[in-house]
Amino acid sequence: MTLGQRLIANEWSAIAVAIVIGVVGLAATSPAFLTEFNLYVMMRSFCVVLVVAFAQMLTLAVGQLNLSIGALGGLVAIAIGGMMEVLGFPIAVALPIGLAIGALGGLINGLLTVRTGINGFIITLATASAFTGINLGITESIPFYNLPSAFVAFGTARLSAFPMLLIPPVIVALLLALFLARTVPGRQLLAVGGNPHAAQLSGVHMNGIVVLAHTLSGLLAAVGAILAVAQLGSAQPTIGQDWLIMSFAAPIIGGAALTGGHVSVAATALAVVLIVLIQNGMVLAQVDPYWVQFLLGALILAAVGLNRLRAVRAGEA
Amino acid sequence: MRLTVEDIGKSFPGVTALDGVSFEIRPGEIHALMGENGAGKSTLIKIITGLYRPDRGRLLVDGVPADFHSPRDAIAAGISAVHQERNLIPRFTVGENILLERLPRRHGLVDYGRVHREARRFLDMIDPSIDTRTEVRRLSVAQMQIVEIAKALSLEAGVLLLDEPTASITGHEADALFAVLRRLKAEGKAIVFVSHKLEEVTAISDRVTVLRDGKVAAAGEPIASMSRGRIVSAMIGREERVAEIGERDLRDRTAVLEARGVATALGHRDIGFTLRKGEILGLYGLVGAGRTELARALIGDVRITAGEVRVNGRPVAIASVPEAIRRHRIGYISEDRKAEGLILAHPVRSNVAITVWRRIASALGLVGRGAERRIVEPLVRKLDLKTPSIEQGVGKLSGGNQQKVSIAKWLAAGVEILIIDEPTVGIDIKTKTAIHELIAEITRDGVSVLLISSDMPEMITLADRILVMRDFALVGEIENSRRYEPMSRRIMSFIHQGAEGAAENEPNGPEAAHG
Repeated sequence: MTLGQRLIANEWSAIAVAIVIGVVGLAATSPAFLTEFNLYVMMRSFCVVLVVAFAQMLTLAVGQLNLSIGALGGLVAIAIGGMMEVLGFPIAVALPIGLAIGALGGLINGLLTVRTGINGFIITLATASAFTGINLGITESIPFYNLPSAFVAFGTARLSAFPMLLIPPVIVALLLALFLARTVPGRQLLAVGGNPHAAQLSGVHMNGIVVLAHTLSGLLAAVGAILAVAQLGSAQPTIGQDWLIMSFAAPIIGGAALTGGHVSVAATALAVVLIVLIQNGMVLAQVDPYWVQFLLGALILAAVGLNRLRAVRAGEA
Repeated sequence: MRLTVEDIGKSFPGVTALDGVSFEIRPGEIHALMGENGAGKSTLIKIITGLYRPDRGRLLVDGVPADFHSPRDAIAAGISAVHQERNLIPRFTVGENILLERLPRRHGLVDYGRVHREARRFLDMIDPSIDTRTEVRRLSVAQMQIVEIAKALSLEAGVLLLDEPTASITGHEADALFAVLRRLKAEGKAIVFVSHKLEEVTAISDRVTVLRDGKVAAAGEPIASMSRGRIVSAMIGREERVAEIGERDLRDRTAVLEARGVATALGHRDIGFTLRKGEILGLYGLVGAGRTELARALIGDVRITAGEVRVNGRPVAIASVPEAIRRHRIGYISEDRKAEGLILAHPVRSNVAITVWRRIASALGLVGRGAERRIVEPLVRKLDLKTPSIEQGVGKLSGGNQQKVSIAKWLAAGVEILIIDEPTVGIDIKTKTAIHELIAEITRDGVSVLLISSDMPEMITLADRILVMRDFALVGEIENSRRYEPMSRRIMSFIHQGAEGAAENEPNGPEAAHG
């Protein structure tokens, strides 16, 4: 294989090359890029996007999708904010309840999908609207600002050059990689995505696995919400509104099969690095942030095209 | 383990798949299950393995009634199966596929060392050369089949069902499989073996049950008491009826479709033939010989790179399927009715009328139901299409009636040349005769048919002349005498000679074959 063919065949090498080019380019053109502060800012924005991308990646793995990730994240964000500010719950109580709300939302998505047999697209489109409705109904669009100082401090704390905020996403990434590669439910999840009929005939509890994927997706959306609240220092009802496109962009750029059965934690993480780099580069170049949306769209199309090319090369098409 | 099937009935909309089927599989026997396509074998296997639930009747495992809600229940009860469809996860390794639903774990994590060791043990029974660490998508079809078999063996189930396990593997591998089956039988396992190959069935089974039209036609007869002839007649029924076309002399008819020296982008070379008006021209060959691809070239779906095609004597260059239909009145019925021929969720009316919508649309571009009905209803009557109404969804019709919808669609379009690809695959034998008579009848109305079929009796019943194709070239052309024995021998000899011709690199294969 030539180098070019190798790069096409490997899921993350192309992303890595793009990242290197991006870093070199930005370092050469913008003196602000390699400052400690800028790197710190980038790492902080990496955290939420990564977890949100994983949330979508899990539903893609089982051959489904979840349009309600952002709505559920917003709901969890204001729920923990409300619990801590209005109800005065301690952090150790509010956060687990927040995670439970996320998992419950995902469970509802999953159960509705398998019980009704209706496409997850419509189910999660509907629940997204419902979750957003609850969110705005409770808050009337007013954020919760008075959060416990320890919680806000965590959002800005540093460990030498690294934000403390980076710790949860890294743990999530390691657990997720282990889950998908080495645990039985994880393998069954990919099996159902890879060939539902075969998995079912092998005695895999297919509906249970689909529900599990949605539940974990909801749980990760909640993790993303908690990180977002910590990062902002306040529980904004608008949290999650801009998650959807990134949640698809990262796993797809990371080579996830849209038909299910194949995802990569490492490649998805690299894709998130690339997305953060692009956002940062555009900020540094003082480009209108709306153009970031455009670029992400273009990137998804390019990634889907590349995946298709790989499939054709591998003779699977 | 003893598995008893008692008076099982199962219907799907429009079809009774099983009607009061009973049979018993005893420990320590290999029980052959036979029947034509559509006789109900696969439905029965799907009921035994928990994929379908029966409408009536029951299953007993060792005399105890069993109610399977899913394949999990059947597996838990000790029933394992190799299904006809491929059931592997492409991106998983061979080892993981074999042990999929019960991956061994250590400290909560999958123990891959044990996965591969255990998978190895079962794979070695049939083919030690397959590496358990290979991803399944990198295997050949035969290797995948072996993995499926190893997977079924690995459950060490009391009852093992094998649905056409030898369809895609070599004789050597089949022998290894049979040795394993005999050993399992000696261990007291109950084995159900579905196969179309009579030689295999008589060689390995102890008893045979034959299904016909969803009913038991022979119930657990000892194989020693059943001659091959008796098995076949149980399968097709005594009242076998063959369409009578009668010999026709069409030599002075005008040519409607001619090919001269045609080559295609897919590798056909020097294709030459003539289809006459009202004729059924057969195109016989083994699967993969390039027949379907030639059909697609004739309707403008595959590029023709050399040579000449004439329709009604005029040279044509057909660039697209709509052009083939509208300008030249050539229609094509795909062998894959469900995927390519019909819109299953739509009613008979729109499936037939789709070809004429443009013609019957009003000045405003609207298609009236009445106009559709006036075209569709006479065709439904003419073809004796069995449907409650023309509003019935095509997916709910039987295979034979679906095929009639395909034919009706092209008759509505007013085609003069119809290419029919494997018209009776998956259709029961009675309807098959009706389809044959229908094809003969439309040719009497002046339609010319190019018939692609791998079914030798069908070819010899229907075709006026038979072209034999091999490796994307025509290797023979025969006037059909409609006498089965000599005709099938001649056709097969062309297929074998074609192989020698190809080996000697003779460029003028087709001409040589004429001599």
